[in-house]
Amino acid sequence: MSTKVVMEALSPTMEEGRLVEWKKSEGEAVAVGDVLAEVETDKAVMELVARAGGTLLKQVVPAGATVPVSELVALIGEPGEPTENGGAPAQEQATQPAPDRNRPVSMPPAPPEDAANEAPGPVQMPGPGVESAAPAPASASPGGRIKASPLARRIAAERGVELASISGSGPEGRVVARDVEGAATAGPAAAPPPAPRAPARAPISRAEGPFTDVPLSQIRKTIAKRLTQSIGPIPTFYLTTEIDMERAWDAREALKALGEGPKISFNDIILKAVAAALRQHPACNAWWQDDHIRYWNEIHVSMAVAIEEGLITPVIRHTDVKTLREISTESKDLAARARDRRLKPEEYTGGTFSVSNLGMLDIDEFTAVINPPEAGILAVGRIVERPVAHEGQIALRRRMRLTMSCDHRVIDGATGAEFLKTFKAMLENPLVMVW
Amino acid sequence: MSRRLLVHDLGHREYGEVLELQRDLCRRRVAGALATDVLLLVEHQPVITLGRGTRATSLPLPPAELERRGVSVFEVERGGDVTYHGPGQIVGYPILDLREHRQDLHWYLRTLEDGLIQALDALHVEAGRIPGQTGVWTAGRKIASIGVHAKQWVTFHGFALNITTDLSYFDLIVPCGIEQVVMTSVAEELLRSDGEVLWAEAKREVVKGVVQAFGFANSADQDPLW
Repeated sequence: MSTKVVMEALSPTMEEGRLVEWKKSEGEAVAVGDVLAEVETDKAVMELVARAGGTLLKQVVPAGATVPVSELVALIGEPGEPTENGGAPAQEQATQPAPDRNRPVSMPPAPPEDAANEAPGPVQMPGPGVESAAPAPASASPGGRIKASPLARRIAAERGVELASISGSGPEGRVVARDVEGAATAGPAAAPPPAPRAPARAPISRAEGPFTDVPLSQIRKTIAKRLTQSIGPIPTFYLTTEIDMERAWDAREALKALGEGPKISFNDIILKAVAAALRQHPACNAWWQDDHIRYWNEIHVSMAVAIEEGLITPVIRHTDVKTLREISTESKDLAARARDRRLKPEEYTGGTFSVSNLGMLDIDEFTAVINPPEAGILAVGRIVERPVAHEGQIALRRRMRLTMSCDHRVIDGATGAEFLKTFKAMLENPLVMVW
Repeated sequence: MSRRLLVHDLGHREYGEVLELQRDLCRRRVAGALATDVLLLVEHQPVITLGRGTRATSLPLPPAELERRGVSVFEVERGGDVTYHGPGQIVGYPILDLREHRQDLHWYLRTLEDGLIQALDALHVEAGRIPGQTGVWTAGRKIASIGVHAKQWVTFHGFALNITTDLSYFDLIVPCGIEQVVMTSVAEELLRSDGEVLWAEAKREVVKGVVQAFGFANSADQDPLW
C-alpha cells in the first residue's frame, strides 16, 4: 500500500501552494525526512519532506502547478507497486472528485496554458462525468499532456510558442527550456500556426525611426510622482535668460538688404535656433507618455498663434532640416491660415516643442504654459534696448528675455539650462547655427 | 517569552559567503546544534538574486551582461521573484525556528513586515502593506522586499530594506516581477543626505523592530546594536 503525499498547509491561511520544483524523481529511493519538493506560498518557500520511506512512485502534479492544500501531489511506496492501471491508490485518486474546498476559480490545479497545449481533439471527455470513462492511464489522466518542464511551459506561454510543435530533447521526449528557446528564435517556421503574441517587453531604444521610447527609470518615476504631488499634473519649472540680440539684429538687417525672398522675422530666426539647439539637446525634444518618455528623433516645433477664439499651435514639421527661408514662408502661411481657421488637424498637432512669442505685444518677459504631451515651451519677450555692461562699459544693447517652461518629469534643471545655453549662443552669434 | 535573538552585524560581506553561512546556521538550528534564533545583518555588493517565483521576463538583461556591469547573479531557494541587493541596503537574514514561534509561514511574513514597518515608523517613514504584495510599501512605492525559505520550519533568507540604496540598479530588473513598481529608500523618502548617521540609526531601528515584532526579550543594555 502506498503512502500519499499531500500539499501541506504551511499556514492556516494558506489555501493552495505552488509546487516549485521536484527534488526527487519518479523511481528514486526516498528516506523519511528527505526533501521531496519545494512548495511556495506567498513569498515563502518551504521544503516538502517525506514522512514515509520507499520509492517515489509518482509525481501526481508537475512542477510549477498550483495545488490546493491537502490535495495529493505524490505517492511513495514499494518499487513496482502499481499506481497507474487499476492500482488501489490510483483508483482512489481517480474516483475521488478531489476535495473541492472553495478553490478559487481562477486557480485550476494545472496552469491554464496547459489546457491550450494539450493534445488537440481526442482528449475531449463526454460531459463533466469522470465515471463514464474506464480508469484512464495516469499518463493521460491529467490530459494527453505533452511532457515539458515547468520552465519550458512558462517560456512557451510567454512567447506564444505551441508546445505541441516542439520536439523535446529531454528524457522521453520531454520538452525543456532550451527546446522552447530554440523554437522561439527559429521563428514562425518552427511554430506552424502563427499565433502572434505581443513580445513580453517592448523593444528598447533604437536611434532610427521617428522617435525612441524609453521606459521610466526608478529615478524618473520618483521625480514624476513627487513633483506632480507638489505642483499639479505637469510639474513645471521655469528658466529665464536674457540674450544679446545685436548680432541677430545685424544678420536680419543683412538678410533684408538682400531684398529677395520672404521677410525674415525674429520669430523665424528663433524657430530655426530652437530646432538647431534641440538637435543638440534631444532630451528637451520629448513627450511625457505617463509610463514612458518618448524622445523624438524628429524635430517639429509648434508656434503659438493668437487667434480670435484663443490660440492655436501650428507645427512646422522637420524644423531642423528647413532653411530659414522655408521656415519663414511656412510660418507666415500657417499663421495666416490659423487666423482664418483653415488649419487641418494634422497641421496643429504632433509638435515636439513649442515657442510662444509675445514680443510684438511689448511684453518684456512671461511664462508660457506647456502644451502636453510636449515637455518644453519657450516664452519669448520683446527685443528692447537696455543699458548693460558690455566690454567694460555701460552700453545700450538690444536684449531679449525669454523663459523656458519645463516639464520636470522629463527635463531636469540642468538639462533645460544646457539647451538654453546653446540656444543663447546661437542667437548671440548666428553663425553657430550653421557651424 | 524570555528568549533572546542573537544579532550579528556582519558588515560588508559577499553574497555567496553569507548564503553558505545561512544554510549552515539553518542546518544547525534544524539539528538542534544551534539553540537560539539568529539575525544576520549584512550589506552586499551589487547582486541580483532570483527566487523560486522568478518569471523569465523579470530579468530583461542576460546574466553575462549584468556580470559585465559588476552585478553578480544568484539563483536561490527563497520565495518570490527577482530582487537586487547592494550598498546602502540593510539586508537581514533571520534564522528562526518557527516551531518555537508559530508554524505559519504567512504569519512569519506578516510579522517580518510588522518589524520593518515599526522600524520605518521610528525613522518617520509612514509605511504599510499592500495585500497580496508581500514587502513593505510607502505611498505606493516599495521600500523593503521580503523572500524567505524554511527548512523544517527553520527560516533563512529574509528581507532587504533600502536606506541609501542607489535605486538605479533596480532598473536592471523588474523588481518582484511587478512591471510598474517604483522602488524607494528611506533617504529618498526623507530627502536625507546624512547617509552614515541614517544608516546607523536605521540598523538600530530594524533590530528593535524585529525583536519587538517577534517578542524577543532583548533589551537596550544587553545589546550594543540597540
